[in-house]
Amino acid sequence: MAEAAPAPSVRAAPVVAPLPHPQPTASRLLWFLRVLRAFTRREMIELASYRAWVVTQVVTFGLATVSLVFFSRFIGSAENPHLARYGGDYLAFGLVGILIAELQHVGVSALSQRVRLAQVMGYLEAQMATPAPPWIVLGVAPVYEFGAAALRSAVYLLGAALVLGVRFADAHLASLALTVPLVLAAFGGLGLLTAGTTMLARRFNPVATILTASSVFVSGVVYPTSVLPGWLQSAGKILPLTHALEAMRRALLIGATPQQLAPSLVALALFAVILTPVGLGTFVYALRRAREDGSLTHY
Amino acid sequence: MTAPSPLEAAAGAQAGGRDGDPAILADALAKTFRPPGDVRDLLRGRLFAPPVQALASVSFTVGQGEIVCVMGPNGAGKSTLLRILAGILTPTTGTARVAGLDVAAGDITYRRRVAFVLGDERSFLWRLSGRENLHFFAALHGLTARAGRHRAAALLERVGLAEAADRTFKEYSRGMRQRLAVARGLLGEPDVLLLDEPTLGLDPKGAVELRRFLRREMVQAAGRTALVASNDPAEVRALADRVLFLEAGRLRGETTPDRLEAELGLEAARG
Repeated sequence: MAEAAPAPSVRAAPVVAPLPHPQPTASRLLWFLRVLRAFTRREMIELASYRAWVVTQVVTFGLATVSLVFFSRFIGSAENPHLARYGGDYLAFGLVGILIAELQHVGVSALSQRVRLAQVMGYLEAQMATPAPPWIVLGVAPVYEFGAAALRSAVYLLGAALVLGVRFADAHLASLALTVPLVLAAFGGLGLLTAGTTMLARRFNPVATILTASSVFVSGVVYPTSVLPGWLQSAGKILPLTHALEAMRRALLIGATPQQLAPSLVALALFAVILTPVGLGTFVYALRRAREDGSLTHY
Repeated sequence: MTAPSPLEAAAGAQAGGRDGDPAILADALAKTFRPPGDVRDLLRGRLFAPPVQALASVSFTVGQGEIVCVMGPNGAGKSTLLRILAGILTPTTGTARVAGLDVAAGDITYRRRVAFVLGDERSFLWRLSGRENLHFFAALHGLTARAGRHRAAALLERVGLAEAADRTFKEYSRGMRQRLAVARGLLGEPDVLLLDEPTLGLDPKGAVELRRFLRREMVQAAGRTALVASNDPAEVRALADRVLFLEAGRLRGETTPDRLEAELGLEAARG
């Protein structure tokens, strides 16, 4: 039978001394940064235990770059009027295209994939049960992924400059300073929208796959959009990647000024202004629905 | 259980708090899930499958300092009840207050006062050590890296994992994993603990030790309140002051641990 229950009113000192918690009025941004730091550290430890995977990733990108080198030699043997707008070097053109497309892929898929993975793996529920607001729990992963992708891109571009002699000397810093945040905001808004619809659909969202595939096709990742028929060029203009590629390539490769990039920058700003609140609204709605139906913590 | 059972006589009984206001007050909690429809549902023009009622008008109270276990067959609604009280699932109707706070708020203050101790092994990162796992969750509790390190070290010591703190989680035994889950639940110094089958899968000796630790140190010595979902009579006898029975989402009654075997018909089965 049950052991005799001591009086529940016994109140001894806590077994572990209570720690002062940050007050609810404490900066949420600081809290987010603390979690981001812990998350980054966690990812580094995990990556260190997946050395073979990391090596495979580097080798895969290295092989893709080498292919690009030989392809650019083939293309570069004759002057190409389609590339003149971007400085004429296909290697630089293709490299920037692949890296920005990768950034969009991360932006569009990181949050939804992380949420889905956490659901499947089962560790989201324990995180959602902590005092951290849901936007912190769910937000650190895509921010980390975005940051890591941006850092990877910078390292690859630096490597291309040092090893392959790709010229970025003419890059216009003010244009880049304007373009990069707009690109990140547009891709981030797209990511929120995709993550929200993924949570609502409760399965991997084909929208992300379709968006990525169609972007590669009509946005000019590995070829300039000028080679496309007119109607496909027009179709490409409704995608943020098209404008991101145009602005980033021209700012990086030929030093285009903000005035020269104005059409692309305005388009990117519009995408950011429209997609961010729409994506945020969809995501918040999906989060509330997930708390109601329990789908956020169950696969 | 045979009718007329004292459980049925006690159905709907409200246990008052022993020390002032109740630590947990559930009032007509109900939860209905609407699962997404499959192909057949879609062909019939329905986006959702027929609704599933997980909880129906569940009301009870838990006094401060009490340990109350919730028993019931699989699918009775125990885990749903705990998730609602943890603030990670919203009830369809009804209200609940835990530690004096409305569960509907489910805000930062609420989740600091109420800890959901989740023993699910998948909720940890397997390639990280026990210490690193706690550091990460300490950050989610808003602790600085330094405070998190101190807190994690103290808790690992407390649950007997100090020596194994730097071994990866995947190397931990089931008992060590449960202890780490307990340590994680204490990161925020909560007033109320919600535990979901805390000794599930442990060997008998490990289970007895963990139950003793949970009852004496985590709850009684620290002046906390606990609601435990369990289907293990041994666990319930060792932990509970009172036992609630859920069946098909409804509260069927309550009893005391010393009457548990009679209520469940285990004595007759042994006889």
